[in-house]
Amino acid sequence: MNQSSAEQRTSPARAADSMESAARERVIRLAGFDQDGIADGPGLRCVVFVQGCPHHCPGCQNPQTWAWEGGAETTPSELRDRIFSTVLDTGVTFSGGEPFEQADALADLAQMLRPRYDVASYSGYTFEGLLKLSEKRPGVMRLLRSIDILVDGPFVQARADRLLLFRGSGNQRILDVPASLAAGSAVWTKDPAWVGEDGSARVAGAAFE
Amino acid sequence: MVTEILKRDGRLDSYDESKIVRAVERAMRDSGRSDFSSAATLGVKVSDELSAVSKDGRASVDEVQKAVETALVKAGYEDVAKSFRLFRADRTRTREKNSALMHTFDEITTRDARDSDLKRDNANVDGDTAMGTMLQYGATAAKEYNEKFLLRPEQAKAYREGDIHIHDFDFYALTMTCCQIDLIKLFHGGFSTGHGFLREPNDIRSYAALACIAIQSNQNDQHGGQSIAQFDRGLAPGVAKTFAKRYRTDLAEALSLLAPDGAAVPDADRMKAVFATAEARSGEKPLLGGSPAFDAALRADILAAAPELPEAALDKALAYARKTAEKETDEATYQAMEALIHNLNTMHSRAGAQTPFSSINYGTDTSPEGRMVVRNLLLTTEKGLGHGETPIFPIQIFRVKDGVNYNPGDPNYDLFQLSCRVSAKRLFPNFSFVDAPYNIQYYKPGHPETEVSYMGCRTRVLANVHDPDRAISTGRGNLSFTSINLPRLAIEAHGNEAKFFAGLDAMMDLVAQQLMDRFEIQARRKVKNFPFLMGQGVWLDSDKLHWNDEVREVIKHGTLTMGFIGLAETLVALYGHHHGESDEMQQKGLAIIRRMREYCDALSAKTKLNWTLIATPAEGLSGRFIRMDKKRYGIIPGVTDHEYYTNSFHIPVYYKIGAMEKIRKEAPYHALTNAGHITYVELDGDMARNVKAFEAVIRAMHDAGIGYGSVNHPVDRDPVCGYNGVIGEVCPKCGRRESDELIKFERIRRITGYLVGTLDRFNDAKRAEEHDRVKHGLGGSGSAGA
Repeated sequence: MNQSSAEQRTSPARAADSMESAARERVIRLAGFDQDGIADGPGLRCVVFVQGCPHHCPGCQNPQTWAWEGGAETTPSELRDRIFSTVLDTGVTFSGGEPFEQADALADLAQMLRPRYDVASYSGYTFEGLLKLSEKRPGVMRLLRSIDILVDGPFVQARADRLLLFRGSGNQRILDVPASLAAGSAVWTKDPAWVGEDGSARVAGAAFE
Repeated sequence: MVTEILKRDGRLDSYDESKIVRAVERAMRDSGRSDFSSAATLGVKVSDELSAVSKDGRASVDEVQKAVETALVKAGYEDVAKSFRLFRADRTRTREKNSALMHTFDEITTRDARDSDLKRDNANVDGDTAMGTMLQYGATAAKEYNEKFLLRPEQAKAYREGDIHIHDFDFYALTMTCCQIDLIKLFHGGFSTGHGFLREPNDIRSYAALACIAIQSNQNDQHGGQSIAQFDRGLAPGVAKTFAKRYRTDLAEALSLLAPDGAAVPDADRMKAVFATAEARSGEKPLLGGSPAFDAALRADILAAAPELPEAALDKALAYARKTAEKETDEATYQAMEALIHNLNTMHSRAGAQTPFSSINYGTDTSPEGRMVVRNLLLTTEKGLGHGETPIFPIQIFRVKDGVNYNPGDPNYDLFQLSCRVSAKRLFPNFSFVDAPYNIQYYKPGHPETEVSYMGCRTRVLANVHDPDRAISTGRGNLSFTSINLPRLAIEAHGNEAKFFAGLDAMMDLVAQQLMDRFEIQARRKVKNFPFLMGQGVWLDSDKLHWNDEVREVIKHGTLTMGFIGLAETLVALYGHHHGESDEMQQKGLAIIRRMREYCDALSAKTKLNWTLIATPAEGLSGRFIRMDKKRYGIIPGVTDHEYYTNSFHIPVYYKIGAMEKIRKEAPYHALTNAGHITYVELDGDMARNVKAFEAVIRAMHDAGIGYGSVNHPVDRDPVCGYNGVIGEVCPKCGRRESDELIKFERIRRITGYLVGTLDRFNDAKRAEEHDRVKHGLGGSGSAGA
């Protein structure tokens, strides 16, 4: 996916996002919401699936989240209340859909959640792509500054591997976002909860014979 | 002239007038007459009558009976005709009874277990094997007998029609349900299985082997499961003995290598005496993890015996021996645990038809020996059986206790964490919570027997009104239990709450009488009927009885238990909603279950017997009640519109609810169901990849006052490449598709507390229930990244 065609398919939600006045709350176009999720990051997590995606990766698990229309509208504070009511969950993951197409609204949400929750986001953009994108869209940087972990890059079918922890294909990385921003380049997280005790970010050898 | 008679089964027999004469005589006798001479005359009349109507010289049995009745009435013997009719009706019933029994036998014999719900009633018995079939013949005939001879008519009716379910009804006249075995007591001085005496074991491997034998032997004396209450404390002495032995032999070996020529160091034989002396002098045994007094005495004794041995060489030998012995003991313990798990998954009881239902409780022994047992047991469970399969037995129960293993810094916290890791991969261990208010009230520090123990599927025995000083888990168990079909009472009440409670009270009266009747049957049995359970003193106080004594007094330590099924459907039938849907319904649900508990408590106070309430583990029952109620009342939405009634007080598996909300809703019922309970949380995905999430759920259970709980999650295995995890259509490791080949992926699921390797042995209702299970809080939409 090159940058320009992604631009052409850019989200109306994002457009609304950036135009929204600071006084009124931003809107999130939501494809789905899960609580007690165990597959999208360590611990029990709430997972916010946003609606709308420019990437259209072949083999995508959730093609129903591609369309910009569809889903349902909600607000950061509504989602915050749902997340607060779960009691058990200690983390929140943004998924989709492409979270960074609704960066401002999700940044609002992330800021309401931290530091009580650790916040992670998936993105079909790479970390480097997001840095570049942020030059035109300040919201992208706002969201990056509001999350702990980024699982970046598109799903690449040729590199699909079901033994990866919290990732679909081998090109994707699990990044420590504050460290990456500080360094100006992608830095893998060292958190064993994300990348396993052996740091391989794959299911440990002990998981099968 | 009639010459042949056509029998009901189609066979032809020659007509015999004397048989008719005898039947008439019997009828005359039954009606108090004695003029038998007229019977012969009547016989002739019947033959004439039949000859008149029969064209081909044949008459059917029915025609003969009709002719006899007509002849009797014509001759003025109305009363005799009546008793003849009654006699025939009785014969018909007997015939039908026999043929119903025989038809059941026929189904048992000829139908594949796959197609027969009858043969999958118990998921742990292989209904296709010879011994499994033989067991089912016996069970079927026994049920028939028990219903006809041992139940009162109103009990038989309630049982037959599905108002109640009498569990393990085939064993009605024979056995009690279950027992928590105290291994320390059993092993002390050795024991007998009835086929020879076993010496007190002296090595961890023998301890493990004998633990299996104890379970197996006891299983033959009971109809329920077998559990070891304190597995870690029971086996720890075996570890200590192995260590002492290894320490001794390793030391002798090291000394023989390190001592200068001519030094009189003790050899392996003499070392035994040296160790015994050191133990006697120091008052300490050689222990894992250090025994300074013993070591000092040992050191002095050896130096005294061999003055020419350099002290440095002795210290080197001692250090080497301790280190090597610890390592060897650890390895021996691992192998012993591996053997135990293999044993419990392969050994058979009950004429070879059934693997014993084994459970083991552990987790609170903080001694280095007990910890070594548990760590190795968990590691071998994690590794799986020979090809990495998930072990089905034993049910393992990790006992969680604040200050012992729950928080960082607690001495066994590492074992709790390991338990979470293993259970996230293997579904066991489950977790029991000593800190729950209704469990901690019996807990006396320093008395492990007062820690709650659960029988794998959920049974719990702790309080003791018969002997309040012995409110303990060990040596006790459930005597029998009977469950009430709560949804039916609710349907019959037509939304009238008062009517429902009146019906419930009446049903509890009936069940109480039935349990009391069964208790009387059990009480009259003798020690010799339970050669292991009572003969070897496994059951509390049975060691005070003689071979021919009644067990009446000692079984009063056991529990008489009422159970229930389908609280959710009951609430829907009565009020339109279940307790998952609103807090108001939660209060209604608690009121029903509290009523049942109070009824049991009142009976306990009155009779000084342990009447308790159980959240029934519903296996065959989950489908049986609802099938009958569907037939009787049709489809009632939210009540009879599934293939099963919801397990005990559980929130229905098809209802979407967050994990915490489910725990919070179910916890108060744990406090009420003192005979046992379990809460499951369903999570979707590969738990082994996210142990942190697993631990969060277990901690939430502990903090909410749950007594016993576990997490259900899919565990699949590809037998071809050995991958263990979640498998969809394609194996993540080798890429094999299930549909490509004949070899299917194995899918381990939990049913009534026991793990089953394939869905084949689930009965129909349980298969439907498994299918409907909603993973709590998950929409299943997956992640964009994967």
